[in-house]
Amino acid sequence: MSASLAAGGVRARARRRETLSNAGRVVIGLIVLIWTLIPLYAMVQVALEPKDNVFNNAIWPVNATLAGFWTVLTQDYWYLSHFWHEMGNSLYIGVATTVLTLAIGTLTSFVVGRMRLRHAWVISNAALLTYVIPMSFLAIPFYRVMQEYGLGDNLWAVVAVEVTFATPYAIFIFTQYGSSIPLELDEAARIDGASPLQIYWRVYLPLMAPSMVAVGTYALLLAWNEYLYMFLLLSSDHNMTVPVALGQFLNSDEAPWNLMMATSVIYALPPIVIYYMFRRYMSAGLTMGGVKG
Amino acid sequence: MAMDGASAIGIGRPAAARRTRRLGWNGGLQGSDRNWALAFLVPYAAIFLAFVLLPVAYGLWLGHRPSSYAALFSDPIYLRTLVNTALFLGIGVNLHLFLALLLSGYFMSRNWWVRSLLLVFILPWAVPSIPTFISIHWMLNGEWGFINNALYTLFGIDGPSWLNYRWPALASVIVSYIWKWTPFWTVILIAGRMAIPQELYEAASVDGATGIRRFTYVTFPLLANLYLICTLLSTIWTLGDFNTVYFVTGGGPSLSTHVLATLGIRDAFIVDNPEVGMAAVLSALPLLIPLVIILMRKLAKTQVQL
Amino acid sequence: MGNMSRRGVIGGSLGLAAGAGLARPHIARAASKTLTVWWNQGFYAAEDQAFHNLVAAWEKASGNTVDLTLLPGQPLNEKIVSAFTSGHVPDLMYADNAPAQIIPQTAWDGKLLDVTDVVETQKSELSETALQSAQFYNNVEKKRSFYGVPFKGATLNIPTWKSLIEKAGYQMSDVPKTWDPFFAFFEDVQKKLRAKGMRHTYGLGYTLSTTGDDPNNLFVQFLVGHGGGGIVTPDGKLHVDDPKVREAMVKTLTQLASAFKGGYVPPDALNWGDPDNNNAFHSQEVVMTPNDTISISSAVMNNKQWYYEDIVTSPIPLDNDGKPVSVLLGVLLAFIPKGSGNVDAAKDFIRYLIQPEHLDLYLKEALGRWLPVMPNLVKNDPYWLDPQDPHRQAAVKQGVLGPTATWYYVFNPAFAQVDAEHVWSVATSDVINGMTPDQATTKAFERITAIFSKYQTTS
Repeated sequence: MSASLAAGGVRARARRRETLSNAGRVVIGLIVLIWTLIPLYAMVQVALEPKDNVFNNAIWPVNATLAGFWTVLTQDYWYLSHFWHEMGNSLYIGVATTVLTLAIGTLTSFVVGRMRLRHAWVISNAALLTYVIPMSFLAIPFYRVMQEYGLGDNLWAVVAVEVTFATPYAIFIFTQYGSSIPLELDEAARIDGASPLQIYWRVYLPLMAPSMVAVGTYALLLAWNEYLYMFLLLSSDHNMTVPVALGQFLNSDEAPWNLMMATSVIYALPPIVIYYMFRRYMSAGLTMGGVKG
Repeated sequence: MAMDGASAIGIGRPAAARRTRRLGWNGGLQGSDRNWALAFLVPYAAIFLAFVLLPVAYGLWLGHRPSSYAALFSDPIYLRTLVNTALFLGIGVNLHLFLALLLSGYFMSRNWWVRSLLLVFILPWAVPSIPTFISIHWMLNGEWGFINNALYTLFGIDGPSWLNYRWPALASVIVSYIWKWTPFWTVILIAGRMAIPQELYEAASVDGATGIRRFTYVTFPLLANLYLICTLLSTIWTLGDFNTVYFVTGGGPSLSTHVLATLGIRDAFIVDNPEVGMAAVLSALPLLIPLVIILMRKLAKTQVQL
Repeated sequence: MGNMSRRGVIGGSLGLAAGAGLARPHIARAASKTLTVWWNQGFYAAEDQAFHNLVAAWEKASGNTVDLTLLPGQPLNEKIVSAFTSGHVPDLMYADNAPAQIIPQTAWDGKLLDVTDVVETQKSELSETALQSAQFYNNVEKKRSFYGVPFKGATLNIPTWKSLIEKAGYQMSDVPKTWDPFFAFFEDVQKKLRAKGMRHTYGLGYTLSTTGDDPNNLFVQFLVGHGGGGIVTPDGKLHVDDPKVREAMVKTLTQLASAFKGGYVPPDALNWGDPDNNNAFHSQEVVMTPNDTISISSAVMNNKQWYYEDIVTSPIPLDNDGKPVSVLLGVLLAFIPKGSGNVDAAKDFIRYLIQPEHLDLYLKEALGRWLPVMPNLVKNDPYWLDPQDPHRQAAVKQGVLGPTATWYYVFNPAFAQVDAEHVWSVATSDVINGMTPDQATTKAFERITAIFSKYQTTS
């Protein structure tokens, strides 16, 4: 009797705790939501105003219109007359950067962290050299080497720069993340006669999925929002990207700010969609029982 | 194997190394395995040789002239800029990483709406920086900015011109920076948390560890290394970040919120003196090099531990 | 409108391709060349279209082709600096900010090609200020020469809300003509408007920030207006010890800072980026704002009521003695880097550009935002002083027909650095924050002297 009472008390306390933590979760969620949305709301508010009425004293759009977004989508403004083509170039650079960063990053971290090649540590330490000078200050050196390599006005020049900056980070994160994957898994596969390539492909990559989604998103967004290296290394209209098109709005003191903000909001969506598509792989990693294997 | 390298840079850990060897690919690589390993390294080695060595060497060379540093140090705002940079890095980096650490735990929840919230939460990371920071600059306008409009509409208060005073302006820069970059680190730390074997939590809960205790005894020790690496990298990257300051405050009021990166960009591209611009960021090398060395030790350590 | 012009581009380029195909055999040049050109993008589509037309016409006439990169100003500058630093340069360049930010330093370093022979072809047509503005000091060869070819210009103008002045109970004819009364008038306008309940309206849209070009354009023009025009002489020497210059500096600081402290300038003007005074003007937060070129009015060209009725472009006022003030004319230059692989074609292109009839057409097709730097163009072509257009006419009268002065960065690159460091706005802020104008002047002049000490010209 007393035992069941006690059990009931525990259950009630657990329920109370549950309700409390749920309430806490909602409060935190609301704070996060407001924090995130206020600056975005300010951007959307500008995007929704007609050009002549961008600045006013209201906290909601006064003459809200979707015309700005429509103008962007139909390329009906001269800064945006190649918007979709530029979006295509941005995607091309973004996807190429992501794929190469993930491929090179996982291969290198596999050797450094798991195969334990003699002196492989040199690689990850040398990679740090990339970060001795901040990315934005390597503009002139990169301009020069790309010219010397004959990569002037070539989308791959931008991809190369982005991969160069994303890969060291990818290697660190993958090596760090991979260190929590038990080496016994590799051992077991080797005893079964798997070659290193098979271990990399069948054992290593699947277990790395969560970190690959995170690092892949990082690489994609690094390339997606690159601006400096795009105008620096690209020249022709044919090779321009959306960030360069956005930069045009700052060419003069005068610009349709509503269109700039509408373009920015539209441009932010593809990476979110891509992240959403790959997000389910994040939970497909260790927690799903890989460790037990 | 790893021990050779580790001891070469003075951090040999014989005990740990011996343990590693036992767990490694049976006593090192031989024959075809070695060739595989070398083949796997070719892509990165190529990138490194073609795109890291040359540009970095040329970059360092651009900043080699002592006269560039003389010009830099004689700039009346250089000292103030150093202080701002230290605050921007010290507060901005640590605060946003700590927030990311907490939020990554929050977003681990299996609730569908918490998971959907994550998609909204990463929007700041996905929106291009420049328009966003310009928008924040306008939000902070004293006359018609969103913040003061909201204060007036909701509470009837006339807010100040936020960017007219050094500390509020610098705080605005830091807050904008946190807003923009916390989502990125949150996603990275979520992935880090995914790597923690569920069994450890189960074991911990058997021992009665919940909430904060679970965090301090299980989660944090396992995330600590990753967290430290993230802090160091974020510091290095933030040092080169000029968009936040450039577009939120423009270095104002009266040049009081410049950081080394904006100073360097100004010297390189507006004064048209790239060598002085390079000197501005390289003058942070005394800070940067220890960070890089700590990172090297950390990275070497991750290989010998566990 | 966007659609129309795009169709225009396509049509134009198709026609051009056909034309080139037909014309090529007749011209029968020995070897056609490809000229790499980096050019500043325009403020509106017509400006770019005008340049495309010019390029097409030159291609047709010369048989060469142009490989054209059009970029916005700031990115273009960074690309140009990268090109000069690394030695991989295009054949021909033009950037809006290059005369102030790039040409003085690169000419000093001996990285630009002497283009005296090109300028010679139109020397009699070009205005005196234009000619002077194209001559920079080369510290390698210790000589001053033409390192750019002038083709257009811009000055400070003062767009003003006529409608607000009338709302305050005044007429445009009530606006005083001389310096101090002119600016004080707007303080009075503000008081009247505030009395009518416009609590967010300010009289004076001075940009007092430490970012962008507007604060420098404003301050240095004020310095000239107060008689400090001799601060740097054409030989590149600094004259801050000249009592007249010092007095002008003190007066300018006093005028700008007291207007701010009196509440006649929006508080945010301390942080305005280049677009912000335009935004403040368009939202009628300010009654007037001094601004380079007539872009503020051009931007609202489609709003007939605003463009033709409500906004007027006021000229820079007379000085306090009633004499005209020389207005600083920013002269825009095309320039050729040393290392250009196509010097002859590049020179040919600029020679073509500055032939008066070509230049006139080009600037007109660009909707007349830029001033011609050839006074005869304005006299011969009624377009430039068209009484129908209130803004262009005012800008041309001031910047082409009125007295103009050369910007000081032409005389010495040190001045470009003084502007880049925003020494002027820092001094204004110092006064706002409690320094006396005299102390702030001493402090600013010390810094300016230090910067100039690195750039000693010998001629």
